[in-house]
Amino acid sequence: MKLQRTLVAGAVALLAAGLLTSCTAGDTEAKTESIDAFPSQWEEEITIDVFDGLANYMGIQKGWFAKIVDDKFNMKLNIIAPNVAGGGDTLYNTRVSAGELGDLIITDKGERLDELIEGGLVADASPYYPAMKNAARFDKAVDAINEGNDGIHAFPSSVSSLLPTESSEGIDSTFGPFLRWDLYAELGYPEIDTLEDLLPILKDMQDLEPVAPNGQKTYALSLFKDWDGNMMNNAKQPVTYYGYDELGFVLAKADGSDYQGLLDGGGEYERVLRFFHEANELGLVDPESTTQNYDTLWSKMQNGQVLFTWWPWLGQSAYNTDANMAEGKGFMIAPLKDQQIFSYGAEAYGGKQVLAIGSKAEDPERIAAFIDWLYSAEGSLSNSSQTMGAAGPQGLTWDVNDAGEPELTDFGKEVFLSGDADVPAEWGGGTYLDGVSTLNISVVLPIDTDPETGFPYSYKMWDSYQKLTANPLTEDWSAHMGGAVTTMEYLKANDQVIVAPGASYTAPADDSEIETLRNQVKAVIVQSSWQAVFAEDDAEFDRIWSGLQDTAEGLGYEKVLEVDMDRAKEQNAQREAIAKEFAD
Amino acid sequence: MTTPTTVTRTVAEQLDERGERSPRVQKRWQRQAGGRKSYGMFLCIVPFLVLAFLFSYLPLYGWIYSLYDYKPALGLEGSEFVGLQWYQMLVSSPTQMAQIGQVLLNTLAISFLGIATSILPLVFAVFLNEVRAKWFRNAVQTLTTLPNFISWVLVYMIAFSLFSSSGLVNNVLGDFGIITTPIKFLDSADNVWLVMTLWSVWKGLGWGAIIYLAAISGIDPSMYESARIDGAGRFQTIWYITVPALMPTYLVLLLLSVANLLNNGMEQYFVFQNAFNMQWIQVLDLYVYNIGMTGNSLSMATAIGMLKSVISVVLLFTVNAIAKRVRGEAIV
Repeated sequence: MKLQRTLVAGAVALLAAGLLTSCTAGDTEAKTESIDAFPSQWEEEITIDVFDGLANYMGIQKGWFAKIVDDKFNMKLNIIAPNVAGGGDTLYNTRVSAGELGDLIITDKGERLDELIEGGLVADASPYYPAMKNAARFDKAVDAINEGNDGIHAFPSSVSSLLPTESSEGIDSTFGPFLRWDLYAELGYPEIDTLEDLLPILKDMQDLEPVAPNGQKTYALSLFKDWDGNMMNNAKQPVTYYGYDELGFVLAKADGSDYQGLLDGGGEYERVLRFFHEANELGLVDPESTTQNYDTLWSKMQNGQVLFTWWPWLGQSAYNTDANMAEGKGFMIAPLKDQQIFSYGAEAYGGKQVLAIGSKAEDPERIAAFIDWLYSAEGSLSNSSQTMGAAGPQGLTWDVNDAGEPELTDFGKEVFLSGDADVPAEWGGGTYLDGVSTLNISVVLPIDTDPETGFPYSYKMWDSYQKLTANPLTEDWSAHMGGAVTTMEYLKANDQVIVAPGASYTAPADDSEIETLRNQVKAVIVQSSWQAVFAEDDAEFDRIWSGLQDTAEGLGYEKVLEVDMDRAKEQNAQREAIAKEFAD
Repeated sequence: MTTPTTVTRTVAEQLDERGERSPRVQKRWQRQAGGRKSYGMFLCIVPFLVLAFLFSYLPLYGWIYSLYDYKPALGLEGSEFVGLQWYQMLVSSPTQMAQIGQVLLNTLAISFLGIATSILPLVFAVFLNEVRAKWFRNAVQTLTTLPNFISWVLVYMIAFSLFSSSGLVNNVLGDFGIITTPIKFLDSADNVWLVMTLWSVWKGLGWGAIIYLAAISGIDPSMYESARIDGAGRFQTIWYITVPALMPTYLVLLLLSVANLLNNGMEQYFVFQNAFNMQWIQVLDLYVYNIGMTGNSLSMATAIGMLKSVISVVLLFTVNAIAKRVRGEAIV
């Protein structure tokens, strides 16, 4: 009897101990010796898990990019993408609770990174840093990002050698009213004084082309909900035409001259919601907006079913193909007279995302070598996302010509002008687009200068490319834009762009109460914004809007707004400081 | 050396002069034998006790998360202890309370609609049983049972392809010129509860009918024969024989569904939710999920999740009290 009791007690104790210990964090890693150079060859083939907060692809990296990585590092990339998995932070939380996020981690700096460092989930890369010769070129940014932490835990993205007061955008602005220029031309290039004046023009455009070539109905505006966060993402975009950008629930002007609460009556956000609502009443909004995702919208853009977009990298990338542009069809910016488009300055200390090595990585040295390679010219050209205009690997898509200038190869022309092409077998086979880096992060800005050629990484900025792509569409646009060749050139010449100096500001972590309040409020904001846009009439719009203001206030909106307002001002102070620092 | 003798003596003592055991000793023997038997029985239920412990009691440990500001990366040890902060937050704001009230209303309404429609599988089974053509009966049964095995995600895909603004129904209506703008079946708040109930009826009807069909096949055929001899028609045999025979089964199932009042799951509502129907579709489980997983406030979600247990306990005691009054005996 006594023996039994002992056995039972023992079993219970074991069970309890097992339960408790399963929740504790892993052991601390052993100290590694510092190294000066990476080996030139890696013996054993490995597959690393890349937890990538930006990736839109899940699974093993394929194609030519995979081949380059494999040749250099004997390594395969297994991309884990919360964007694809969906469900908010579920994937992040589950993996973090399990104590291992990934071998290579691409995530937000600030709260996220601090949490991971504190929880011991990212490794200290200091022993490898002396060997990271390419990253060392951006030493300042690396230092800035690791300031206050013991060791080097993270590596910055979007670094460049540009001044923070210079726009980080090369050819096209990130935001802007881009519409189907051919239809706009048919209407006789009507002048657009302000945002609301777009509505009758869009209506006429839609009447001009009611049906797309594929037989489907066209709509001026088509929305999607994938990227909704603190607000309805689509509704934030036109706000940027007037120099505002979001920071939590605040819309802050690039030059610090104005701050608005998201739900301020008569504010920019309400203005845009009303704009969408009126558009919907005019029948300009795609009824599928409520259910479709970005991918669906993308294919609609490709098919010419949508006539307006707030991003060049959506409309132009999808629709401005060689064939379309040769017919004079395509998306170009149609400036609003009163616009002052928000532009991100080149971030002196890197962008919002960082790269880090997981503390349980099998071979941290190799990952450090891989990260370092991403800062190199070859890495930048191969990795930077295709929509950002990175030229791809030398010898495949481009090469230096006799005059010493970079120029697209025939293959490159096929890829970038016609949409895609089959990659030769020695480069890994498959189509070019299938083989593009799915990391979806620009470690070095594509508009930065390639130290090896002296030209930008982005092919779109090469003279050879601009000569190549002159076509009826761009010529017509140029003729009506005072001879400007690129969007940025026009905006700068007309003083219609406002650059927010790249201060690399990161908002500090929300305390738990604010975070919970924020999450509840933003859910209501997003939900009500959609309802307001699709409200039956103006009276219902007003009812939903004031209902939103009341509910949000009841859930603690003011409290969060106060926090965000302080941050917005702090951000501006940093912007001013950095502008001054680099001006000297 | 003394032990064997002692034993022998004891056995000898147990027998009286007629060689039989004394009543006192007999009783002890019986108790020991019974004890051995119940020990075996106990071993049989141990696995179930362990399961009940693992799945019903052990998770209660998780309630501790509601007292912390839990951050997964830091673990429970690294997270800050905040006491009753989350509970205070829940009750401090009237809007929050109203939101939870709405969530409870949705949960109960959808559950009650579910209970109200729980008679449908019975009706279906009764009428299906009346179908004479065997092949047709089997075909109908198979076709209606199948949806039960489709996941809600696929159900939503079916719903989407049929009822989205570019779906089949809207296209057909548009082609016939009945409507000019698509009807928003999926993204509207109209009749959400009813629509959700209809979907779950569609999914569960055939599956729910199986148990009734089994019960019907257990009814003695001689009862039907004698009823027919007495001149009963088809509907009369249904009404006086089949339905009464199915009632006990129905009542047991009804009781089980009442017990699951708050457990209407979340998959269905999760896939069907959007900005337009959110207010009416958010049931308790979904609300907890949205706050915890999507909103990343795991501690707050735990606090709200506990609400479910509290309400369940209240419900249990209410039902218990009613049972006591009605039947004179209580469940617990």
